[in-house]
Amino acid sequence: MSRRRNERALVRPHVVTGGRAHPSRNVFDLVTLVISAGDLPRTGLSPEKLRIVELCRGGALSVAEIAGHLSLPVGVTKVLLSDLVDSGHLTTRAPAPAARPSRTRLLQEVLDGLRASL
Amino acid sequence: MEQTLLAAALAVVAAAGVAAAVLLARQRRLTAELRDQNAVLAAGVELRDKELRHLAAVRLPELMDSLHNPGMRVAGPLHDLTRKAPAYGQSLQTVMDLFAGSADQVRARADQSAKATLRAMMRAVQSLANEQQLAISTMQDRHDDPEVLDGLLRIDHMNAQLGRRAQATAVLCGSWPGQQRSASSMTDVVRGATSRIRDYLRINLEGPVNTAITSRAVEPVVLTLAELLDNAARHSRPDTAVEVNFRTAHNGVAITIDDAGVAMDAEELQRATELLSGEASADVHRLGDPPRVGFAVAGVLAARYGFTVSVDSRSPYGGVRAVVFVPSALLADVPDDPRARPAASGAGAERARSAAAPDAPSTEHGLPKRSRVAVADRTPEPDEPDTADAPAPAAWAEPARPARETAAGLGAWQRGTRSGRAGTPPAGTPVPPPGVEGKDLRP
Repeated sequence: MSRRRNERALVRPHVVTGGRAHPSRNVFDLVTLVISAGDLPRTGLSPEKLRIVELCRGGALSVAEIAGHLSLPVGVTKVLLSDLVDSGHLTTRAPAPAARPSRTRLLQEVLDGLRASL
Repeated sequence: MEQTLLAAALAVVAAAGVAAAVLLARQRRLTAELRDQNAVLAAGVELRDKELRHLAAVRLPELMDSLHNPGMRVAGPLHDLTRKAPAYGQSLQTVMDLFAGSADQVRARADQSAKATLRAMMRAVQSLANEQQLAISTMQDRHDDPEVLDGLLRIDHMNAQLGRRAQATAVLCGSWPGQQRSASSMTDVVRGATSRIRDYLRINLEGPVNTAITSRAVEPVVLTLAELLDNAARHSRPDTAVEVNFRTAHNGVAITIDDAGVAMDAEELQRATELLSGEASADVHRLGDPPRVGFAVAGVLAARYGFTVSVDSRSPYGGVRAVVFVPSALLADVPDDPRARPAASGAGAERARSAAAPDAPSTEHGLPKRSRVAVADRTPEPDEPDTADAPAPAAWAEPARPARETAAGLGAWQRGTRSGRAGTPPAGTPVPPPGVEGKDLRP
């Protein structure tokens, strides 16, 4: 489904979400991390939801990244993600834990750099 | 003397009488003959008169109707003209043939010019609908406010229907469906068709099938399915579902569409079969009011691309079952989707390497793809071979950049900031923080 930029999507977003634009829970922003929550049966999931579950199997992904992978608008992705969280396929995680180790390392690098330039 | 005179006179009288009688008899015979002939002629004239009146009042009008309605029978002559008046009968037939021929020509010409005009008009509508769709897609990407998105989804739905109507009319007028698409999976094709009809929420798609449709047949099949689904949804109650199923056969795949509406009667069925066979030329004058284009469009596309459409079976729910049979020639393997795999499973190790490294994930155009940051406390899953040789914690243990390099980077950043501030007024664009990379999703 790697389509050219000017090719219209065959399946329009209203079919993807069943006409819904409001996510069932308001917990997502662009950088919310989503991870897979165990192996629940995937029967009855729409192709897009299956893809999301498949994508998240490898680790945490941000909402923006999932939307990019699926070539879907972020608003539509949020509706799908909240459905999947409701059904227990996914859980959300605030982005903070991922940022902490890298911040320490960055600070260490800045310190080293400053020392070297002095 | 007197007696001889008398005898002579009598003889003369008798002869005259005999002659008169003979004459009279002959006259009578002649008269009878003439009367008979006259009667025959009068009957002939009356027959021709009647035939002519029948021709003008019944046969020609019926012939005219039959040109618009091929199933109609045209009345023949009242009498057996080949026996009674062969030459006359022949002439009448010539009149009929000439009439039919010229009416047919006029109709064909009118049909052609109507189609050309409609085609040109629809082309404009189609391209506008396409442009609008692109604009809507751009807006959907840009706004993630649910209220705005709600409106956009509704506009998108309406625009998809508008585009389908224009496309169907154009196809009926001999145009191509347009929109070249890449090979798409059967499920996507059905859902694409569902996107373009009013009651899309009532379409129930059962079970996936592991085949795709070749790129050149995607749009025609989508359009055909959309018309059939729309028919099914429109001719069944709004609280019933329309079921779509796939059935794999040895030389193709059948897509069945079952509705729970009313079945078609024999006449409708015959007309539908005729239209779906694609043999009857779709005539824009005969679509009725409101125009019923569904079967006509499906028939035209099926004949042109080599799939078949039939509606002659009953659905198990009492309505119509439409079957679209796509032969193997129009099928392809499911397009390989790189994004279907779990994205960048060895993210932790890969992140540490240079983005330009040959094994870094990249898009199809060769641009480096941003790989994501692994969650620190996440343990590698046993079913991922990538993580076995380079576990995520290894990323933190590796030596940091050489201090000199970091210093050079910081210096460059500082110089850049200074020159940027010196060049533009302070109200200018803020300098982005150094750690932010990747594309901006909200322009």
